[in-house]
Amino acid sequence: MQHTATISRLKAAGAPPRLSGFAQWADRHFKWLLVAPAVLLILALSVYPLLFSLVVSFINYDFQVPGHAFVGLKNFERVVFDPVARWSLLLTAWLSGISVAIEFVLGLLVALTMVRSFPGRGVIMSILIVPLFISPVIVGQAWTLLLQRPFGPTNYILTQLLGQEVTIGWMTESPWLYVSLIVADVWQWTPFMFVILLAGLTAIPPNLYEAAELDGVNAWQAFWAITLPHLAPMMLLALTFRLLDAIRMFDTIFIMTGGGPGTRTYTASYYLYTVGFTQFHLSQATAGSWLFLVFTALVVMLLVRRLLKTEPV
Amino acid sequence: MTYEAGLQALDPRNFSGPMWEQLTGMKSNVVELSNPDQYSKAVAEHIAGSGAYDVLDISPAWTPSLADGGVIAPLDDYIAKYMNPADLEDYHPLYKALPTYKGKIWGFFDDGDMFALYYRKDIFEDPKMVEAYQAKFNAKLAPPKTWEEYAQIAQFITDQMAPNVYGAGHFRKAGSPGNQFDFLQQYRANGGKLFGDDMKAGLASDAGVKTLQNMIAANAASIPGNNELDAVSLWAAFLTGKVAMIYSWPPSGRMAANYSQSATAINFIPQSQIAGKVGYAVVPGNPEHATGYNKALSADSANPEAAYLFMQWACSPPVSLARCMLPYALRDPYRISHFKSELYGALFPSAKEYLSNLNNSANVGLLDPIMPGAQDYFLSIDRMCTAVWAGADSKASLETAAAEWNETTDRLGVDSQKAFYTEFLKLPGATADNTVEKLGMAVTL
Repeated sequence: MQHTATISRLKAAGAPPRLSGFAQWADRHFKWLLVAPAVLLILALSVYPLLFSLVVSFINYDFQVPGHAFVGLKNFERVVFDPVARWSLLLTAWLSGISVAIEFVLGLLVALTMVRSFPGRGVIMSILIVPLFISPVIVGQAWTLLLQRPFGPTNYILTQLLGQEVTIGWMTESPWLYVSLIVADVWQWTPFMFVILLAGLTAIPPNLYEAAELDGVNAWQAFWAITLPHLAPMMLLALTFRLLDAIRMFDTIFIMTGGGPGTRTYTASYYLYTVGFTQFHLSQATAGSWLFLVFTALVVMLLVRRLLKTEPV
Repeated sequence: MTYEAGLQALDPRNFSGPMWEQLTGMKSNVVELSNPDQYSKAVAEHIAGSGAYDVLDISPAWTPSLADGGVIAPLDDYIAKYMNPADLEDYHPLYKALPTYKGKIWGFFDDGDMFALYYRKDIFEDPKMVEAYQAKFNAKLAPPKTWEEYAQIAQFITDQMAPNVYGAGHFRKAGSPGNQFDFLQQYRANGGKLFGDDMKAGLASDAGVKTLQNMIAANAASIPGNNELDAVSLWAAFLTGKVAMIYSWPPSGRMAANYSQSATAINFIPQSQIAGKVGYAVVPGNPEHATGYNKALSADSANPEAAYLFMQWACSPPVSLARCMLPYALRDPYRISHFKSELYGALFPSAKEYLSNLNNSANVGLLDPIMPGAQDYFLSIDRMCTAVWAGADSKASLETAAAEWNETTDRLGVDSQKAFYTEFLKLPGATADNTVEKLGMAVTL
């Protein structure tokens, strides 16, 4: 009898404690309770505004027109048939494509130069990445001061260098205004490419180059056979990140050209800003944002798919 | 209270706000907003019913939208109860009617943004220049009375004095917003109608083409980089003596006399190298009253009476005069008592002439269109002008702008816009045919 009692006491000690109904439920769903605040926060700050903006794009949400009547696809239609919107999308693709391509090439060249150690390398690297930390608005203002006639020194310097008077309207004359915008963007964002690509270059095992050297491979062959394949994932990563940022180009345009002359430097972001916050047609701007999001998503999808497939040889 | 961010907001922060608190014990909170946000935030807070603002600083062009939208409240009852009627009569006639809409008063006008011509007297009075001009055009070199004359004089000075001094300068950069004001003043002075009886845009007309041609001629006679300048860059060009004529907002005169620059807040403007050499004249034809500000009472204010009393006090003759005299502030004279003020007249040597010219400009001044969609119409003009400066065809650009205007009108409703426009046309200064002077209400100092 005593033996049986001892056994049952031992069994009771090993068994889980008796819990109330709520405590049992809480115990079963503890993991969900832990993530719930974060999920709610994301829903409130991300999903709710996104859904609200979707609703806004189907109603009238214009400060100048009373009421919020359902207008179906009218807001989307206004964007699609607006020649300025179509131009701004084209310019965005064109401007960001060229800027990012130049930044990539320059960033790669600088990274290849800086990958080896030499005296003063640290100082030069610090100087090179400074533009990365400057606000794009300040970058726009700085380039405006350099380029704007009659105060900017650029035309004067070019005149002295070329020996004939240079009177370029850097922010009003085509194609120079595009050159100005690209130069400002390249100046600021080449260091981004440089930093990422340098990280990729330093990660390539040096013994590969040593072996290649023993095999009599020259520098150009080593670049094609070793550097490029190993750097490819980093290259794609840098291009993806930079392209995603470049297609939102706004600040420098706002400061340097104000979208002009006419609408020649309207990018998608500048167009949406103008429609939403200069003209106060918020629902049209929201519809435009959704269309822009679709285009962006397509580009992102292609790049990310390619990025996931890329592996060093 | 809402206020435009930057220099404008220094007045309620440093001067009128603290003084009001000293007098009444009421604290004020200044919410600084960018110019477009002064409209959009006011509407957004009204929709949200937050009662966030008591006093709104708004562009007069927004009054109809905000009044019809229930964002602002009429002041008539408060005025009848609290205001000395003489204070209302002290407004220059051009500005007195500005906050009036559908027979009610929706605010107090508070910033006389009248364009005026500022020119270099020393150049215009230089015997060699006078003689050369006489020889070339058989006319006296004097401030221009027409836009053709303006371009001709600008070109003459450029031909004679460049690269040291150029004849003129304008703020023509996209969005700056000199293009819209300049086009509107010249277009209407040239007989152009904004809208026809059917509310179709009247831009693509002979008056439109003539206006753009005049503006192109003026641009060609101006300082290199004219089309890239914003208002501040233009001031810098004028103050450093590179430009002989500009037309702009009233601070131009105070800066040229080096009065404004006495405040550290505005020391980013260069010191004037032309102090004592600047003359004042009315802009050829009819000058634009470029925007201005109204103080309006938020319909959602929890303390409407106190808010109203602050507005009345801040815009009263003595307080508004003091606010207009602050060197760093950008509020410009608008009351008859401002124009006649001995105090203001003693601020710098030519202050009396300056005030007299602003008054005379207001007598023949034109108002920006006051109706919903004004910002859309303005944007179209800015795009049109900058496209033309970059080489686009004038007629085609006018047609594009007119099409955009028509689209805006259609979007907002033709009948509704017509009703607003009809209300606007009742205001003195709505067209070149019903300026304050032509209505027999001109103020003589």
